[in-house]
Amino acid sequence: MKQKLMSSIQIILLLPLTAMGLTGQSYPGKPKIIRCRSLEKETFSCWWKPGSDGGLPTNYTLFYSKDSEEKIYECPDYRTSGPNSCYFNKNHTNPWTTYNITVTATNEIGSNSSDPQYVDVTSIVQPGSPVNLTLEAKASASITYLWAKWFPPPLADASFNSHVYHYELRLKPEEKEEWEETISVGMQTQYKVSRLNAGMRYIVQVRCMLDLGEWSEWSSEKRIQIPSEESPPEKPTIIKCRSPEKETFTCWWKPGSDGGRPTNYTLLYSKEGEEQVYECPDYRTAGPNSCYFDKKHTSFWTIYNITVRATNEIGSNSSDPHYVDVTYIVQPDPPVNVTLELKKPMNRKPYLVLTWSPPPLADVRSGWLTLEYELRLKPEEGEEWETIFVGQQTQYKMFSLNPGKKYIVQIHCKPDHHGSWSEWSSEKYIQIPNDFRVKDMIVWIIVGVLSSLICLIMSWTMVLKGYRMIAFILPPVPGPKIKGIDTHLLETGKSEELLSALGCHGFPPTSDCEELLIEYLEVEDSEDQQLMPSHNNGNPSKKAKTTPKETDSDSGRGSCDSPSLLSEKCRESRALPSTLQTQDVRDVQENKAVKRSRETQCVALERKTLLSNSESTKSSTWPAAQLPDNQPPIFAYHSIVDACKITLITTNVNIAPVLVENEEKHQSRYSITETVPGDMQEHGEMENLHSKTEQTAVQVKQNRPNVKSPFLDATLMDYVEVHKVKQDEPAVLLKHKENRGKTENYTIPGTSKEYTKVSTVVDHNILVLMPDSRVQHTPMSQEPAKETSQNLQQGQAEKNTSYCLTAPSDCKRETSGSEYMDPSSFMPSFK
Amino acid sequence: MALARAAGQAGPGAALALLWLLVRAAAPPAVCAPGDSGCLRLTVADLFDRVIRHSGRIHSLSTALCAELENRFPPRDNELGKPARRCPTAGMLTPNGKEYAQKIPREELTYVILKLLHAWKEPLSHFNQHIEHHQELPDDSLSKAKQISKMVHELETGIEKVTEKMQLMGIISNSLHGMASSEASGFSSTNEANMMSDSDFIHCFKRDSNKVQCYLKILKCRIMPENSC
Repeated sequence: MKQKLMSSIQIILLLPLTAMGLTGQSYPGKPKIIRCRSLEKETFSCWWKPGSDGGLPTNYTLFYSKDSEEKIYECPDYRTSGPNSCYFNKNHTNPWTTYNITVTATNEIGSNSSDPQYVDVTSIVQPGSPVNLTLEAKASASITYLWAKWFPPPLADASFNSHVYHYELRLKPEEKEEWEETISVGMQTQYKVSRLNAGMRYIVQVRCMLDLGEWSEWSSEKRIQIPSEESPPEKPTIIKCRSPEKETFTCWWKPGSDGGRPTNYTLLYSKEGEEQVYECPDYRTAGPNSCYFDKKHTSFWTIYNITVRATNEIGSNSSDPHYVDVTYIVQPDPPVNVTLELKKPMNRKPYLVLTWSPPPLADVRSGWLTLEYELRLKPEEGEEWETIFVGQQTQYKMFSLNPGKKYIVQIHCKPDHHGSWSEWSSEKYIQIPNDFRVKDMIVWIIVGVLSSLICLIMSWTMVLKGYRMIAFILPPVPGPKIKGIDTHLLETGKSEELLSALGCHGFPPTSDCEELLIEYLEVEDSEDQQLMPSHNNGNPSKKAKTTPKETDSDSGRGSCDSPSLLSEKCRESRALPSTLQTQDVRDVQENKAVKRSRETQCVALERKTLLSNSESTKSSTWPAAQLPDNQPPIFAYHSIVDACKITLITTNVNIAPVLVENEEKHQSRYSITETVPGDMQEHGEMENLHSKTEQTAVQVKQNRPNVKSPFLDATLMDYVEVHKVKQDEPAVLLKHKENRGKTENYTIPGTSKEYTKVSTVVDHNILVLMPDSRVQHTPMSQEPAKETSQNLQQGQAEKNTSYCLTAPSDCKRETSGSEYMDPSSFMPSFK
Repeated sequence: MALARAAGQAGPGAALALLWLLVRAAAPPAVCAPGDSGCLRLTVADLFDRVIRHSGRIHSLSTALCAELENRFPPRDNELGKPARRCPTAGMLTPNGKEYAQKIPREELTYVILKLLHAWKEPLSHFNQHIEHHQELPDDSLSKAKQISKMVHELETGIEKVTEKMQLMGIISNSLHGMASSEASGFSSTNEANMMSDSDFIHCFKRDSNKVQCYLKILKCRIMPENSC
């Protein structure tokens, strides 16, 4: 039998060897079933040892059959009992059956099976070792014995642990090799061993068996010292001494083995520099194995030498000495009353205010003990604490906290200089809200959306009316262009004719014009100016009130300075009349503002002069101002002219010095222009211009009932106003003022003379101004033409209608309306 | 003119303030009370805070020096508590607990502080001379020792100043000097100090510097209990 087996093994061994010799890879080696074992008769496991793997990954399969059946089953559970094992659980375990078990190893090349193993579950039962063996030596009277206790082996399924085990116990002295004896314990799980040698150290083990099975392994070894009858207790150890408040302190010790005898502990101490030894004043206050030193017995800046002595009936044993300077063993209790408060200041991030109180035992107010604090915090889910040393204060503000997180905060304390940190105070939680942040975010989002919207609109409008916007933001510099055109106009010399033609055309040609009730007042003489200011003084506010309504008349002044721009404007005005008008309105308002400031200067100035001067001026002007509402414009005109003449005579002489002082220069130029109109060319350009300014003033009188003085705004000199008369109002005031400042560019004096004479009175309401042919003969005669053209253009731009344009080549659009001159459009340059 | 108007508007308040200032300026400086913020002179509380901080620094220095020396020359086991260590001031009777320190008269406590400091001046300078010949000691330790010696002098001066001030203000009686003379020869410790190891010596000083600071705190809180005590 044996030989057969040997030979078969040899063959089996040879086969893979030859195969390996050929290819380097072969069948797997033959596995071997090592053992099968049941812990408790209800389940069992089998383990096998793999053979060689033939150089390839190998699979192991366990097959079994029962003696009652032909059927072959595979292992139900390869894992529970570890690698290379098979676990048969309760369902697959039948104690009355013999199992025929084989293990097959398979790889790519082939497979190899182990020898079959026959298993009878009942006979393979071997329980685990008993656990938790504890030993206790007890001395009663003079006999020492040993109690051993243990627990039955643990099972995977605790509910089946109803088995009854038999136990055996063995023991030996520590130094011996062989076990002294094996004691059959029976079914109990404890045993009392007597007959022991005192003062020896023993090793004890237990094992167990279930019914007919095998004995378990021996449990782990346990040792015990059997106290000898003579030996004193082991020496105790002083664990620590601590003072919680720097006034008292306590020391604790750990007893050594007492050998089961009643033992007494005594704490003895001596102080530095003293020979005397004292005993602990209080063993009870601080609990077992401790000594409490009250205030009386506590000295500072002195070293205590402390020992603990354990004593039993046999003898005593003393601990190593422990040296304590109470100053250095202060360890306070943790701080109390820790509060966390979240402050929410306006417009700032919320911050956390921590407050706490020193531990109640510590008397910090006396100065005897000074505490320093340290706090730590972390987000609830965080791992690492952030530790902050606070110093002696009992509050702390934390600013940099992440919103929306829950923080854990703890505080501990320590005396300054010496001692140790207290325990951490209990954990405090605080939720940092994040709604503040959200609010902020919302605000910023809204702001962002709005601003981007505005930008969008801006860019959209820029695209649509880009040019106008640019022109509006950056008004054109008028100088050079005007100059060029100016010379051109001068060369052509046709302006006078055009101007006259303008006058000839039926003035209110369109239906629109019929609604305009305009009086043209032309004052050629320089005296006018003097008069005007005085009237202005009377009612400056009126004008300011009325003009905004009548924006049309002023429109386009500022921006139409240059002819080229004007022409463009004309074109544009056709296309987009409405936009142009609005723009014009703005211009007008701007101009007005400028004018007003100027005006006040002039008014102040002239008021002085007038007041100081002849009464005749006043008397002459006032009548004109007080014209009845329905009075025809002509009348007003005449009266004004008269008045002007009168005043001129009187004022010129008298006022001159004052004006010169004021650097206004009106006077001097007056005289020049009046006396030698033709000489003006010979004067410096500047002078001429100035004089012109003064000389010409065209006033349109408004016949409104409220308006006391038609000359109200005459001081301004700079602008032209067209007053549209509403239907109930009979008249429109159109004011022409020539601003000589602008004419500087043209260098043409005497413009005033070129135009404006009343050509017709239409419907008793309208005065039409015409260029004066006589004046045109003056050398400067060309200038008016140019101005006319400009005015014409402006008129077109404004009204879209209907003033008759004669001359201007710039603006191609010619309407049937008569020309309307607006010298005030040059206001800006006057400055 | 505008000034005049402003002054007029400020009115009686300004006048009163001015008057008050004048009165104050005229008043004797001794009027300065502790905690009076208007007083330009240092209050006793200020001085106390300073000397307490100063003593704290001395204590920290000595602690550091002590650690350095013990590192370099580790004491043998059990040496810590052996009775051989007799500090230069061991013979001096000083309060060894809170109750005692709070009970004894202020004058006496003040005197104890001064006495302690005074007692250390000479041993410290001896010690400085002694350790300068120590080749093993690092410069850092030497400078610490020097610094300590210097600061003890300063601290003594400072505490004398506080004492003077307190006596002026009647906080403590003038009986101090009598005590000083009576106990002037309470200790002569140079010999003993020479017998000690360096680390023991500094250990002793460390303890006394802690004492001084503690007494100062107690004294301050006894005199001005409202002042951060």
